Amino acid sequence: MSVYPQHFVDPIINKSLQKEKAHELSHIPIKPALNVSTDSIFYGELKQKFTNYILKEGNSALARELLTKTFEIIKRTQIERLHLAKGDKGSIITDAETLLINAIENTRPLLHLSAIKRGGVKYQVPIPLTEKKSYFLAMKWILEAAREKERKVSLPEKLAWEILDAACGQGRVVKRKDDLHRLCESNRAYAHYRWS
Amino acid sequence: MFRNQLGNLSRVSSQLQRISRVELMSTEVQPAESANSVINEFRTAVTSPGEHSALQLAKFYKIPAEEKKQIFAGGGLPKQYEQQIKTFTEACLMVRQPALELLNYIKNADLSKPAVRYVIYGDNGVGKTLTMAHVLHYGSLNDFLLVHVPWAPNWTKRPKESTNSSTQEGFIDLPFDAAAWLVHFKTQNAKLLQKLQLKTSKEYVWSKRESTPAGATLVELIEHGIARIKYATETTAALISELKLLSTGGQCKVLVAIDGFNAFFHPITRIFSDNKQLVTPDRITLTQPFLDITKYDWTNGICVLSVDKIAMTEGYMDSYMPRYLLGKTGFEHLDPFVPVHVTNYTDKEFLSCINYYMDRHWITKTQPGFEEQLKFMSNHNPYTLMQIVRGL
Repeated sequence: MSVYPQHFVDPIINKSLQKEKAHELSHIPIKPALNVSTDSIFYGELKQKFTNYILKEGNSALARELLTKTFEIIKRTQIERLHLAKGDKGSIITDAETLLINAIENTRPLLHLSAIKRGGVKYQVPIPLTEKKSYFLAMKWILEAAREKERKVSLPEKLAWEILDAACGQGRVVKRKDDLHRLCESNRAYAHYRWS
Repeated sequence: MFRNQLGNLSRVSSQLQRISRVELMSTEVQPAESANSVINEFRTAVTSPGEHSALQLAKFYKIPAEEKKQIFAGGGLPKQYEQQIKTFTEACLMVRQPALELLNYIKNADLSKPAVRYVIYGDNGVGKTLTMAHVLHYGSLNDFLLVHVPWAPNWTKRPKESTNSSTQEGFIDLPFDAAAWLVHFKTQNAKLLQKLQLKTSKEYVWSKRESTPAGATLVELIEHGIARIKYATETTAALISELKLLSTGGQCKVLVAIDGFNAFFHPITRIFSDNKQLVTPDRITLTQPFLDITKYDWTNGICVLSVDKIAMTEGYMDSYMPRYLLGKTGFEHLDPFVPVHVTNYTDKEFLSCINYYMDRHWITKTQPGFEEQLKFMSNHNPYTLMQIVRGL
């Protein structure tokens, strides 16, 4: 769904990579870079995408602040755990972005159910998801879980907990993914309706 | 779509493991246990501020937990710094040039001369309060009685309760704040007051039935103020005038430290009087003793005051210079004083701070050149650095 034809390639943001690929891409048309993308330590593709999903009413400064606060809380809890841990300190990740990526990877669904009409009856047919869609769903679910909270709890607090839970393969979001997978599994008999 | 990032991920985690493995082997992992176990290039084992010199410049020293609790229990460290201390499981301060300069002045000061006023000034977030904290630590270890106001604008901006003064017509009392300050004073100086056994010079009559006789200890005076909150403000005034007398008499040394001192000279406060008029700070009874003790008509004392932009309200925050912030009256009140300029981090301090953050796992992303980026984005400002690093 891009305005650019398919032979346009994605821009490279990393400066050192740019130099490497400069020769290779010299005659290939390149899409323009996004306004928000920078080659700094604060930029992460997934992080940026997640900020965009947090965004409400175009208030991107607030969205960024919320994610920053979330990361702060994650870091604080993880460092606290690190200090409390007796032996195995290496297994505790204190980097918040890594944890966010882990959480999203753990909650990505592979299949989803789509209603397909065959012989006047609607069947819930399991259909594989594209990579992009699965990332979207994972992030959407994490955010939905985070927004379902008491009014007194702030979003960063709840979001931090959801991310920490999901990063170690627990919590409501992972359960939601597993439930969906289970439904798909039980409806596997209808799978052939996809193409027949 | 995000595959290239995931490639990085495994590299990051392996790097993390490598760091932790190194730490397991070294003896430098647990700085919390003993003071002399850790001497990195950004740490110093010298925990007494009195012994700090240019050798320890830009290094972190640890404040022992019980001393921290004694000095800063009632405030004195910024809230976010307290949070950081909790996360890092140790209270560390960086030895910086302004603090060293101040300590040097204080150590070489002739206490028999009238009290010298030092005014700490600087832009937002450069570490004025922490410089003051360093000096306070020195004071408490070197038998100074601390007269410390953690943040003066709290009284003018958000007092807990304001009532009309019963003794002075047209003045406003802040009984709860005064009592809170008395508690703060008591906890800070508990040991020293026990040791010195200071006595009051005259009788204080609070009401028909209540009075504090001449020759009562200062602790009794303070405890009366805390118990009878109604008289807390007057007790504060009495206590401070007593301290001035006692220190002039050579019985004790007093270190006055007031953060946000310019709030006392701000044109307005946020307190309303009975006829819905905004009160000026000089109409608040609690400010009077502190203005009194910052005069130079007493000896055996040192005043460390800080002027701060955020102590003012909007419209008065154009410059951080003492003359602007104090105004004409404030400047004349303090004149002559020794200005101490707190500046942003130097390159050395900046790197030391980054190293410290990395040691405490606060920064985990260490791509090549990340220091340069942080330096550029924070403009060497300590507070901005703290803010931008938290989401990293």
